[in-house]
Amino acid sequence: MEEPRIGVYICWCGTNIAKMVDVEAVASEVGNLPNVVLAKTYKYMCSDPGQDLIIKDIRGHHLNRVIVAACSPRIHELTFRNAVEKAGINPYLFEMANIREQDSWVHTDRSEATKKAIDLVIAAIHRVRFHEPLQKRSVNVDPATLVIGGGISGMVAALEIANAGKKVYLVEKTDHLGGHVARFDLTFPHLSSAKQMIRPIIQRVENHPNIEVFKQSVIRNVNGYIGNFDALVVNGHPEPIELKFGNIIAATGLKPFDPSKIAEYGYGKFPDVITSMEFEEMLSAGKVLTKYGKEPRNIAIIHCVGSRSKVYHEYCSRTCCMVALKFINQIRAGLPDCNIYEIYADMRAYGKGCEEFYAETTHRQIIFLMFDQQEKLPVIKQAERSDNCNMLIEMDEKLSGESIEVPVDMVVLMVNMEAHEDVKEVVHAIGVSLCGNQFFIEKHPKLDPVATTTGGVYIVGTCQGPKDIPDSVAQARAAAARILATIAQGSVAVEVTTAFVNEAFCCGCQTCIKVCPYTAISFNEVKKVSEVNEVLCKGCGTCGSACPSGAITSKHFTDHQILSEIEGIMSMSYKEI
Amino acid sequence: MPVRLQPELRHQLIQYGIGDWNACYHCGTCTAICPLSEEGFLFPRKKIRMMQMGLKDQLESSVEPWLCYYCGDCSKTCPRDANPGELMMSLRRYLTSKYDWTGLSKKFYTSEVWELAFILLFAALVVISFLVILPSMGFHFTKELTADKGVRINSFAPIHIVETFDWIMAAVVASLLISNILRMYYQIIWRKSTTKVSLWVHIREFWRLIFNFAVQPKFSKCDDKNYWVSHWFLMSGYTIMFIVIVVYLKWFQTENIYPIWHPQRLLGYYATAGLLFGLGVAIVGRLRKKDIKFQFSHVSDWLFVIMLTLTVLTGILIHIFRINGLPVATYICYIAHMSVLVPMILIEVPFSKWSHLAYRPFAVYFAQLKKYAVPK
Repeated sequence: MEEPRIGVYICWCGTNIAKMVDVEAVASEVGNLPNVVLAKTYKYMCSDPGQDLIIKDIRGHHLNRVIVAACSPRIHELTFRNAVEKAGINPYLFEMANIREQDSWVHTDRSEATKKAIDLVIAAIHRVRFHEPLQKRSVNVDPATLVIGGGISGMVAALEIANAGKKVYLVEKTDHLGGHVARFDLTFPHLSSAKQMIRPIIQRVENHPNIEVFKQSVIRNVNGYIGNFDALVVNGHPEPIELKFGNIIAATGLKPFDPSKIAEYGYGKFPDVITSMEFEEMLSAGKVLTKYGKEPRNIAIIHCVGSRSKVYHEYCSRTCCMVALKFINQIRAGLPDCNIYEIYADMRAYGKGCEEFYAETTHRQIIFLMFDQQEKLPVIKQAERSDNCNMLIEMDEKLSGESIEVPVDMVVLMVNMEAHEDVKEVVHAIGVSLCGNQFFIEKHPKLDPVATTTGGVYIVGTCQGPKDIPDSVAQARAAAARILATIAQGSVAVEVTTAFVNEAFCCGCQTCIKVCPYTAISFNEVKKVSEVNEVLCKGCGTCGSACPSGAITSKHFTDHQILSEIEGIMSMSYKEI
Repeated sequence: MPVRLQPELRHQLIQYGIGDWNACYHCGTCTAICPLSEEGFLFPRKKIRMMQMGLKDQLESSVEPWLCYYCGDCSKTCPRDANPGELMMSLRRYLTSKYDWTGLSKKFYTSEVWELAFILLFAALVVISFLVILPSMGFHFTKELTADKGVRINSFAPIHIVETFDWIMAAVVASLLISNILRMYYQIIWRKSTTKVSLWVHIREFWRLIFNFAVQPKFSKCDDKNYWVSHWFLMSGYTIMFIVIVVYLKWFQTENIYPIWHPQRLLGYYATAGLLFGLGVAIVGRLRKKDIKFQFSHVSDWLFVIMLTLTVLTGILIHIFRINGLPVATYICYIAHMSVLVPMILIEVPFSKWSHLAYRPFAVYFAQLKKYAVPK
């Protein structure tokens, strides 16, 4: 092995690092260590001049290892790997020391923080000496895509991909396309017809030559990896259909909350307490009538049913406030003399045009009544004959401080959006994770909101969390764009820091197969040893640490590398003791 | 016991002023900015809430609308243009109609036809009194009465008859107003109240009523002090005029024209100037609509200003014609003066905008009583 020639670069990150870490002291401390050719500081290493500095030094000083002590590798590891590659060094001969998130941001003592930065950089120096060059690999991408769910998100994604000339398999659990949007009457905030919007989309999907729709079908046995998946479509026929595809879009949508769990609202007990979805159907039918067939003179709309509650779901369903305002406008248009009570916990009007819609709707002679979600829910009671109404809602009204009684004939419960109960099956099939609220987790909440940690699997629409139509459609088109990009390239880069089995040491105990979360390891019955599918392997290292005979090594995380990193981090503190 | 909402109340309230209190979303900026809102008497937000929800009993037992002097800061800073200041004004109109047991106040506030008919009826009665009833009682328009350079006002309008009429009218108006104040007291202090106020507190705090009537110290806490000043001149001018006309008419309405520095003339000039100043500010303000408190003028606001102005102008004309010795012009102006003054007093003091002369100081007094209320 050639002698390591290491360049160390310490970033100020403006004042983020420099105000808590004496970057010059770190540079001078590590500059004289063995194998370190130079140690420099710079205001923003990630900037173009910062990267150019590294490239110039690699060429001028014949560096063959580079360390950048800066922010988290999650943010800029790729930036610097690309920079060193530009200068002709294998990107895996680079190492990053995190002296921001793990140091300057979390400490308040400058001299201690500086010492810690030195430790972290020395650890990186020790480690990088044992880095080995790794070669990038890629796999071909099957141009077909599987879309799970035929709601608006799934259909829009399917159309986007199909219009680009690529094959799409659209699998829908029910017997019709359109999802929940097909059940809506009007949409907010422009009060345009949902049906007029969704029908042409359904028609285009059903008639598109590149889209194959499977209704009343579910997906089973998804196997493979990015670019090369296969699965079975089960739809009641004895013979399941086998599909091959390169990418998956999960658009499995949501389920309305069942309000009968909330005793206060008496859903199921009072015939005129209905859910927002049931009211939607009344509006679609064009008749708002109580169970006695009368026009209601008083309608109450109760918000946050199952949402923002410690007992049911803590999250906000995002759209119900606006749907309630939409209801008000529709009721007011049809029943101009009806008393409308809007019983809310907080009014949330985010989204383009929504605050304006709220402001405008408040002028429709609505009585807004606020309740405290954490204190006491409104209670619906049967009215007496003398009350001249159907039911009474008792509540503590927050803005007046009064305990009040609201006479009503019909109550609409704005039910929460919750995850499907069968979501776990989908999770298992496509290998994505769930958050605490049973919604799919995206790869990065801000920077990668439609991808998942599984390559080639994307999540769009309300299966990722409550959202409105525009957001769902935006996600669908975003996922389609991501997929079309990989299809256009024809291949995708896959992880190179994978595990490999030293067959000579493998005892065939198959412990690794049991622990692998990506089903990347299989057993070779002939050789009686484990084998790693390097495309499926994510390099998590679980098998390496579980292997009793030390036969499995994770590339870029070898024992040698990790032990010398530990040795490095201990060296300074050890000296002081 | 929970309070039942009465959404139909809004149909009633809407007749007393601008209608759209829907805009308020209860940020509370108005209450925060109001220099008069204080712990225990918070407004305007809470009152708007009661209007929105139709909490009739709570509204009718509110003292807060009278503690607002309408500087307009709340309306200026309202992020939703809900105009809390004008809503409080509307609420005062509503409460005035609620204190009145005859039902006339409601008629006058909600129907211009009723109000105008009432004015015209009493104006006509005044004219008939002068032209028909007085002559029939033996007070004829003689040559002597209308001779040039000889205004004989006390022969035209016999002072004992006018004075008797003054006292009768004062008694009618006062009894109406006092009965309304008692109803106001009942609503604010007694009705559905869980607290009581001792007699001693009633006596001890009584000075506040007089003090607030005379000075309006609360009004002076509003940001724009100019309105307090102009209002005080108007109010003091009117009070002086009222006292000399009702109590000292014999001293005020004399055949003899005193020199200009005589207290009779000086008091008259001060009162006239005070009235004109106050009215000028109100008229210019309501026409220009620059200041928020004058942007929305209800019919009752204009009627009050117009009638008081006409009263003052006809009064000035009487004076001018009298010192210039023009008997016929003086007598015509006297009839005109009375035919505006009488309906104005009859409508405005017990039933309409002018009743605030009593309700406001009493409200301050009642609010003070509430502070010392103890549980029953």
